[in-house]
Amino acid sequence: MKTRQQRLLFLITLLSFCVSYAQVKITGRVTFRNKGIGEINVTLKGTYDGATTDSNGKFSFETSEKGNHTLSFTHPKYNDIEKQIVIENQDISLDAELKEQINEIDAVVISAGAIEASDRKRATALLTPIDIYTTAGADGQISSALTYLPGVQKVGESEGLFIRGGTGTESRIFMDGSLINNYFSSSVPGIAGRDRFNTSLFKGNVFSSGGYSALYGQALSGALMLESVDLPDQSSYDFGISPIFLNAGFQKLSGDKNHSYGATLGYSLLSLMQKVLNFNTDFIDAPQGFNGDANFRIKTKSGGFLKYYGMYDTNKMGVRTESLEPGSDYALVRINGKNTYHNLSFKQKFGKYLLNTGASYSYNRSDLNFSGETNTIETDKTQLLTDGNYINFKAVLERKINKISAVRGGFELNSTDEKLKFEEVNKHYQDLISSVFAETDLGFSNEFSAKIGIRAENSSFLNKSNIAPRFALAYRLAKNWTTSFAYGLFYQNPESKYINGPAHLDFQKSQHYILQVQRASEGRSLRFEAFYKKYDQLIKVRNIANIENQNQPVQTAINNDGFGYAKGLELFWRDKKTFENIDYWISYSFLDSKRDFMNYPVSLKPNFASEHTLSVVGKRFIPEWKLGVNLSYTYAKGRPYYDIATKDINGNVVNFTRNEGRLKDYNALNLSFNYLPNLGKKDAKAFTVFVLSISNVLGTKNMYGYNFSQDGSRSSAIVPPINTFVFVGAFISFGVDKTQDAINNNL
Amino acid sequence: MKKYLLSFALVCMSLTAFAQSDYEKIMSEKIAKIETCKTPEDFQALANDFQRIESKESGKWLPSYYAAFSYIQKGRVMMREGKTQDLDEVANQAEKHLANAQNLAGADNAEIHLLRKMAYSLRMMVNPQQRYMTDGMKAAEELQIAEKLDPGNPRIALIKAEDTYFTPEQYGGSKTKGLEMFKKSLEQYNAYKPKSSMDPNWGRGEAEYFISQPVK
Repeated sequence: MKTRQQRLLFLITLLSFCVSYAQVKITGRVTFRNKGIGEINVTLKGTYDGATTDSNGKFSFETSEKGNHTLSFTHPKYNDIEKQIVIENQDISLDAELKEQINEIDAVVISAGAIEASDRKRATALLTPIDIYTTAGADGQISSALTYLPGVQKVGESEGLFIRGGTGTESRIFMDGSLINNYFSSSVPGIAGRDRFNTSLFKGNVFSSGGYSALYGQALSGALMLESVDLPDQSSYDFGISPIFLNAGFQKLSGDKNHSYGATLGYSLLSLMQKVLNFNTDFIDAPQGFNGDANFRIKTKSGGFLKYYGMYDTNKMGVRTESLEPGSDYALVRINGKNTYHNLSFKQKFGKYLLNTGASYSYNRSDLNFSGETNTIETDKTQLLTDGNYINFKAVLERKINKISAVRGGFELNSTDEKLKFEEVNKHYQDLISSVFAETDLGFSNEFSAKIGIRAENSSFLNKSNIAPRFALAYRLAKNWTTSFAYGLFYQNPESKYINGPAHLDFQKSQHYILQVQRASEGRSLRFEAFYKKYDQLIKVRNIANIENQNQPVQTAINNDGFGYAKGLELFWRDKKTFENIDYWISYSFLDSKRDFMNYPVSLKPNFASEHTLSVVGKRFIPEWKLGVNLSYTYAKGRPYYDIATKDINGNVVNFTRNEGRLKDYNALNLSFNYLPNLGKKDAKAFTVFVLSISNVLGTKNMYGYNFSQDGSRSSAIVPPINTFVFVGAFISFGVDKTQDAINNNL
Repeated sequence: MKKYLLSFALVCMSLTAFAQSDYEKIMSEKIAKIETCKTPEDFQALANDFQRIESKESGKWLPSYYAAFSYIQKGRVMMREGKTQDLDEVANQAEKHLANAQNLAGADNAEIHLLRKMAYSLRMMVNPQQRYMTDGMKAAEELQIAEKLDPGNPRIALIKAEDTYFTPEQYGGSKTKGLEMFKKSLEQYNAYKPKSSMDPNWGRGEAEYFISQPVK
């Protein structure tokens, strides 16, 4: 009996023990804004038990645990939440509502006015270095490639980014935050200078066609922010060879991959191509140039990053044009340019703070010589010599508030010291522009963010100060649709070129209003932008001298009475997805602008603004042939041209339009091929790219404007140096580490 | 009484012993599931399962390894479905677990280096033209390290075979060469003994699948 009781007791104990191991079912639904969400990890903390929600947000699992427990719900896109539960013998049903996690990847990006071209943010990745090299007609130049984007005008006769009715000097280019003075090479009137900086120096860029951040200033229309490359992936030697240039360079990466250094040398000369192709421009001295650059990049032990880039170049050319003035057959102009640029930047994180500093120094000399030629006898030369020294320093300190919010502030100093010598005139221009700025990014949710900034500047030359507020908002309308709005006030000093006499001058001013709607989905983006810009305090000039045999008089700024506006609509569509291996984009800009500035007698449509610009760019890569075929087409409605002269009315000198008209429309179809024979060959020691590019394949005779004689009775068209240009070249790169590895592996 | 007490204690002990091997049981159960997962959602659920084990067994590297592996498999399915834009996110998750696994298992674990290679390859697929020189190089580097550490590992041979098989001929790939490499990896599978029933032992099915494909 006793045994039986004991047996029973044992059975009961065993049974209760087993019951305690019995399974309890836990079910529920996880939602975000009342919609069920899948792939949420539901975990009974400290156990193996849990489940993953299905696409309706439902989950269900069994557990043999008992007592007080914590149920956690996790997913990278949502904030983790935990719920306390007590597990007894009944099944448990439990729902959870999640909150979205605010993070950089999902947060809406303020993109009004800006086109970001890097791999960092996929939604805005529009134009990368590879895109630039494979854009037919861009000659591998960043500034030329940008003319295939909305908002940038096709102005062939002078360098600079002509953005939304602004002149080429109203946009500025920055490298790692520091201003680049003289980004373009010096040139003669009527021929655009070229980009001095190699496209491959920059891993990405942010191009703003308006409404840009308070960190930048001194540009009435837009800014191009270039980001230089970091440490290279491997040491390499690079060579480029073509009938018009030769260059060689190397990059050396240290074994611990903490620092690198490199240098390149190049020489270019156009004369060989002049023998083959028919140029419109009569070059008495073939354009030629020498350039060299060096860099180092160091990652410090404490996580800082120091970068240096320095370059030196010289260029030379001479041009002969038929003279419009009686008494001489030809007008000659020669240029000798010298330039050096050095940029040092340092970046480091200190806890929640990020410090970005940069300093740059540049020296630029432009030596222009004008003369006439009659019966093959050249007259005395008139020299216009400009020497400029520029120093830029900038420091920005940023503090993160949360994942998508930050405040940053800093200061910038820009010193300019220019000496100009023209016959007996000696000009010495000095200016120090000191700026302070502050800006905050406020991310309210992944759907709504704002940027508010303010910038104040003082110019020692003008002896004036300004305060420029900026702000922008972005809101996500639907999954792929975002809208942004940007407003900003922008100031710019009058160009020193027009400061040739005493005058009370002030900053020039513009206001931007930009509204953007953008749709970005995988492989496709659609962007629509409307803008209004108002200009005030633009400079007005008067003629003070004529250079013999030259059509453009020397002018000096007299006041800030100029004004104007620009408004327009832009459309951009890019599609990499629809057609396999084909990437194409279409951009259209409508621009309506009028200005009364410089020597304009009344408010006129500026001669650098075309009302309609259409660009189509297509790229097709044919993997079987390792060949890239690129096409581009640009149409721009003919720009107006003016011959503005002066006359004396009752003792007052007034400007008037003596001749005016509209140029014929601009059309150019460009074609280029890249052949990559070693692509994908794993054991290849060299990586080679052959390039053939033909600009303006159809040979369309485009023109950029007219020059008028001093009495206005004769004129000559300003045309491109050549209608159709053919470029061939080979670029070879040897990756040193890879070869080294191959040797090591075979030993 | 003593007898019963003893048997009770025995039952308890066996149950506790059973509990001790819970880790092995759950791991083998989940590892077996790898073969049955097909969709990205399946692999996400499996990754979540391994993450649960990872957070409980914080001293063991295998749960982290398998969590990363599940993410990588998820990414590879997405890649085949053409959803390359979201691969960065998947690679991020995989790398998070791989870092954890490497902390526990040490830097000389070939299996982990191989998964790192696969994660970089996923990243590269987001934008192959641009990322070939960065992520593509890093992938090649990881593969080299893995190979140096464990030359006989059949999974390294398998991934190399796959790379060759799927690379177009003009880029140095080849279906026939790839097939030979699959065969070689299968030989290695036959010779390979995993360190334990839970240690990485995936991939044989894949090699067999490719070998069974008709050559065009």
